[in-house]
Amino acid sequence: MFTDAGGVLHFGSEYAMTDYTSDAHNIYVNATFLPMEKLRMTTTVSYNMSKGEMDQVTMPDITGRLDGNLSHQDFSFDEMHEYSNLEYSIIRLSASLEYLLAQGVTFTADVDYADLTDDQGYVYGDESGSMFMVRTGFRFEF
Amino acid sequence: MMVFILSFALVTAQENEVTKEYTLWIGGHYTDFTDFSKKVGEYDLGDEDALPELKGSYRFRSGEYLLNIDGHYYDKNNISGRYSQRWADRIKGDIYYRSLVRQEEQDLLGNLSARELIGENPGGKILTHELLDEGADYNTHRREFGGNAEVLISRKNNVRMMAAHRSILKTGDEQKIANSHCFSCHVTSKSAEVDKRTDEFEVGLQADVNDFTFAYKFGYRYFQSRANNASAYYDAAVHPVNGGSGAEFGSRQVFNDTTVVFGTYPETRKFSHKVRAKGKLGKGSFSGSLGYSTTENLNTDVASTAWSGAALYAIPLNSKTRAIARVAGVRYKTDDPFIDLPTFRDGRPGPTYSFDFTRYSSLDRNDFKGSLEIISRLNRTTTVSGLLGYNMIDRHDYPVPDGDDQTTGKLFAQARVKYRKGLKFSARAKYRMEMISDPFTSGRGLFEASGRDAGVGPIPEPFSFIFYWQREALRYQDITIYPTDVHDFDFGLTYRPDNKMSVNFGLKAKFDKNGDLDSLDVEHSMYQPNLALTLTPDPKWSMSAGYTFGHYKSRGPVAVALFDG
Repeated sequence: MFTDAGGVLHFGSEYAMTDYTSDAHNIYVNATFLPMEKLRMTTTVSYNMSKGEMDQVTMPDITGRLDGNLSHQDFSFDEMHEYSNLEYSIIRLSASLEYLLAQGVTFTADVDYADLTDDQGYVYGDESGSMFMVRTGFRFEF
Repeated sequence: MMVFILSFALVTAQENEVTKEYTLWIGGHYTDFTDFSKKVGEYDLGDEDALPELKGSYRFRSGEYLLNIDGHYYDKNNISGRYSQRWADRIKGDIYYRSLVRQEEQDLLGNLSARELIGENPGGKILTHELLDEGADYNTHRREFGGNAEVLISRKNNVRMMAAHRSILKTGDEQKIANSHCFSCHVTSKSAEVDKRTDEFEVGLQADVNDFTFAYKFGYRYFQSRANNASAYYDAAVHPVNGGSGAEFGSRQVFNDTTVVFGTYPETRKFSHKVRAKGKLGKGSFSGSLGYSTTENLNTDVASTAWSGAALYAIPLNSKTRAIARVAGVRYKTDDPFIDLPTFRDGRPGPTYSFDFTRYSSLDRNDFKGSLEIISRLNRTTTVSGLLGYNMIDRHDYPVPDGDDQTTGKLFAQARVKYRKGLKFSARAKYRMEMISDPFTSGRGLFEASGRDAGVGPIPEPFSFIFYWQREALRYQDITIYPTDVHDFDFGLTYRPDNKMSVNFGLKAKFDKNGDLDSLDVEHSMYQPNLALTLTPDPKWSMSAGYTFGHYKSRGPVAVALFDG
């Protein structure tokens, strides 16, 4: 009988086959509108949803191999499959406007918004958050 | 740079029609984050403030000379600029700079937390983690600048000289994780300085001789980290349950009750040489290359060398059919350094062991590939092609020196068809299959057999037990993620009823499995359909929309060692 340095038994190993599945959806719409000669407007909306998870791991019944020596241990690992769950969704909205004020002078304005929802905060904690950015300026062409 | 300035001076001295365009954008931006910013704003640093922003461009054309200058200042850490020029086929090149910031998150190590349970009570064997820099704000600033130039030296033989340079600098802070001894007992995290630099230079010469073009290129790359070394304290080794026997457990560790430098970056240097040739050969055309490179870790004096070669010959078989033959080979060889480790149980009564070893590299290999492709245009609408090839990878030292099954063979075949009916409809389909023998496999077994059934010994006297390291002999079962069969399918079609609308549909699918792993059905599958629509109903409106779905599945074993604690 072989024992480790602590004087307890080695019982080999157990294993089970399992699937890890991830799905990703991405949808987007872009539009450009020129209502008048001096005005140009564009907008983009996109949505991405990603999900990854492992199937329930069902370990074989190894009671007979343990000879009662490891009765205090739980080798079923019922919750192991939840360790790797991932679920994100992110929506992005952007819009821009350009208006020709005079020959060679254009006013521009842009807005970007992104919102991320993390439904399975894990390695880095809850990563949910949003970003808003607005930009304006004037373009001169010579 | 001098060449660019001289050519600009020469061109502007000539009497050509000159056009100049300037564009300048002056404005500002304001960024606001809510809740956790590092994921949604990973590359959108933007301080939460109102900041000025500037963009500009300059275009200059005179005869066959063209000059472009573009620049963008977003904030002090996000800047880009490019200067490029072209003077007919005499001189062309550019110089650029760009910088950005990446927000990096902190691994909370939350999954590294476990404790043995004895009955209803917690046991002494425990896995803990410790963030020594909790709440750290990691980010890195990447700056890259470089340029390239090509100059016509002589019209006779079309002699040209090329030169290129690129430098990448990365500074900031990053997370480093140290695993104290017994590996999984105590894991610590701390901030570490980042200060890396990569420099690359290339210079080459090219000339035409009769129907052939010959070229040579020399390359140099150097990487260095100038950051202060990170260090970690390795715990005093004791019995994991009763906290005693420190001298015994300490004698079994490489590091014990000491602070050591960890996670250092190697200082590396690479030299490369490559010659290329192409031209007409018989009724067909030929191209080929031969390369040699040597890469050295200057900290450890470990070097690796690589020889590579490739050749292609394309020949028309008739007016509608042509054949392309390709061969390529690479030979990698890395030094085999001797790893000198402290003697196991040095100074303790009873047996001692030396775990010194020679590290053989899994990189060492000969890799040869050959294929033949036939492409035929059946009629005005349809083109078909078929490809058959073989790839052999002969590994020298892995899984074990001079072991069996070190040669991977891959037979691959591919069929492709393209169909186009005017501008309204087009479609394409491709199928590729691979049959692989002896793919790269872990040299160690996945499972551990019961120590009661298989011999591990000898049990070292005067002890009545074996040591953990002896259990390595109990491991069995080949395992790999690499497949023995691969099926890859790609389909796409485009329908454009008029110039106001187009619809695209595509489907990619891939399935692979390994049938050589006994009862382990390791396999992967992927399906990826996509649909895209473009509409331009009138000159004032245009719209595009699309949807992509990806489904990815991997099947593999989950294995757990069974022992007390």
